[in-house]
Amino acid sequence: MIEFKNVTKGYDKNKSDALKNVSLFIDKGEFVFLVGRSGAGKSTFIKLLLREIEATEGSVYINNFNVSKLSKKEIPFLRRKMGIVFQDFRLLENKSVYENVAYAMEIIGKSEKQIQKRVPLALDMVGLSHRMNHYPHELSGGEQQRVVIARAIINNPSILICDEPTGNLDPETSYEIISILEEINRRGTTILVVTHDREIVDTMKKRVLTLEDGVLKVDDATGRYGYEV
Amino acid sequence: MRQAGTAMKFSSIKTMPKNVVRDTLKSIERNNLMSVASVLSVIAALIILGIFLILTINVQEVTKDVESKLELKIFLQSDFTDTQGKTIQQALEKSSLIESVTFESAEEALEKFTVSLEDYAPLLSGYNSENNPMPASFVVRVTDPEDMDEVQNLAMSFRGNGVEYVRYGQEYVEALVSFNKFTNTLSIVVLAVLSMISIFIIYNTIKLTVFARRREIGIMKYVGATNSYIRAPFILEGTMLGLMGAIVAFLIIRITYYYILGLVGGNLFLPVDATLASPDTVMGQLLFFFLIYGGFIGAVGSIFAIRKFLDV
Repeated sequence: MIEFKNVTKGYDKNKSDALKNVSLFIDKGEFVFLVGRSGAGKSTFIKLLLREIEATEGSVYINNFNVSKLSKKEIPFLRRKMGIVFQDFRLLENKSVYENVAYAMEIIGKSEKQIQKRVPLALDMVGLSHRMNHYPHELSGGEQQRVVIARAIINNPSILICDEPTGNLDPETSYEIISILEEINRRGTTILVVTHDREIVDTMKKRVLTLEDGVLKVDDATGRYGYEV
Repeated sequence: MRQAGTAMKFSSIKTMPKNVVRDTLKSIERNNLMSVASVLSVIAALIILGIFLILTINVQEVTKDVESKLELKIFLQSDFTDTQGKTIQQALEKSSLIESVTFESAEEALEKFTVSLEDYAPLLSGYNSENNPMPASFVVRVTDPEDMDEVQNLAMSFRGNGVEYVRYGQEYVEALVSFNKFTNTLSIVVLAVLSMISIFIIYNTIKLTVFARRREIGIMKYVGATNSYIRAPFILEGTMLGLMGAIVAFLIIRITYYYILGLVGGNLFLPVDATLASPDTVMGQLLFFFLIYGGFIGAVGSIFAIRKFLDV
C-alpha cells in the first residue's frame, strides 16, 4: 500500500517544485504504471518512497507507516519491504547470478540454509535456473534484468518498484520482463512500474498515473498513456 | 515494521562476521597499492614513535636509577650540641619528603675518608678524634629528587642552630629532571604529529575503498542493509591495516633493539652507572602499545572517511 497525502517536494527555493501537492492511493496488490516526461517528477516520486529524500510538505505512507516519521535507523527496515529494479541492472560483476541474488539475503542476515532454499526458487520464477552459475557479463540484457528481479523479490517485499525496467531492452524482451512482473503481481505483490514505454502501457490496460511538471495530471484506471508525445 | 526490524538485526549480527571478514580481505587485496601505502605509513610512524618511546623508557630508567642514588648531605657545626642534633633529626624524620636519615659522626667521616684515600691514607695519619677536621653530618635520601630544594630549605632553617651548610648535586639533579621532562614532551608532540599523518593516510585509503565499492554500497542500501552492516567492513579494513603496520613496526624495532644492545653490551658510556632498560620489559610494553595504537589509528581514520564519504 502506498499513499501520498498532499506531497510537495522542492529541491531549490528558486526553482519550481519537483512534485506539487500530489495525492494518490495505491492499494495492496495493484499493478500501476507511472509515466511522464523527463523532469516530470518520476525520480523524485521513487526517492520519496525509498526515503532517500524527505517531502517538503505532506506525508508519504507505506503499509500504513508514515515514512517521513521514520528515524534514520529505521530506514533500512522500510527498504526491506520494497524490492527495486533498476534500468541499469546494478548487478555485481564479480559475483555469479546465484551469488548476486544470495547477496540480498546475506545482507539482511538470512542463514545459509534459507539462502540455499530460496535463491533457486526465485531464479526459477524468472526462468533463469539454468544460468545460476553464470556471471552478469555472460548474460543478455533481458537475462540480467531477470536476475535483478529475482534479487528484488528474494526477500518477499510487499511492494516492487521498477524504474524503467525495460529501458535498455528490445520490445520482445520487454514483454517477457513485464509478464514476469505480472506473474509476481498475481502472487499479491504491489507493483509500481515507472516507464516511457508507451506501447507496453497501452497493451497492459493497467492503472496509469501521469505526472506533468510535478503535478499528477491523470489517474486513469483503464490504462492509457496519459500524455501525447 | 519495528518489530520485524529488531528480529532481523539480531539474526544479521549472528551471520555478519563471516561475510564481513571475507569482504574486508577482498577489499584490502583489491586496493593493494593504497593498502600497502597505509601499512607503510603506520610502520614509519610507529618506528619513529618506537624510537622515542624506547628513548623515554630508557631515560626514565636511568633517571630512576640515578635518583635512587642521590643523597643530600647536611653538615653540622663542629660545636653542635646533642639537643641541636636531636631537634634536627626529629624535624627531618617528620618530613614526608624524606625517605631516610642517617647520622654520620665526625669519626665515621674521617674513617670513611681514610678508607677512600687507600694508598694515600697515611696523609691523614696526623689526625685523630681530638683534631678531626671532618664535620659530622646527616645523610638524607629524598623520595622525589624534585623535592631536593625544599629539603635543603628545611635543613637550612637550622643554620646556626647546629647546621653549618647543606650540599647536594643540585645542577645534576636539575638537568636530569628537565631532560626527563623534555623527552616526555617531545614524545607526546611526535606522537600527535605522526598520528595525524597516519590517520590521514588511512582516511584516504578507506575513501578509495568506499569509492571502489560504491556500487555495492548502493545495492546494499536499497536491499535494506543496516548502516552498521555497511560500515563494519570499512572500519574493520582500517583497523586491520593499522594492526598490520603495528606488527611489522614492532618486529623491526625488536630486531634493531636487540642488535644495538648486542653492540653496546649494556654499556651506555654515561657518567653514571646505568644500563639500558631490560629488553623484555621494553618489548612487552611496546607490543601492547603498538597494537592498541595501530588499531586505534586505523579505526579513527576509517570512521572519518565513512562519515565524509559513505552517505547511508
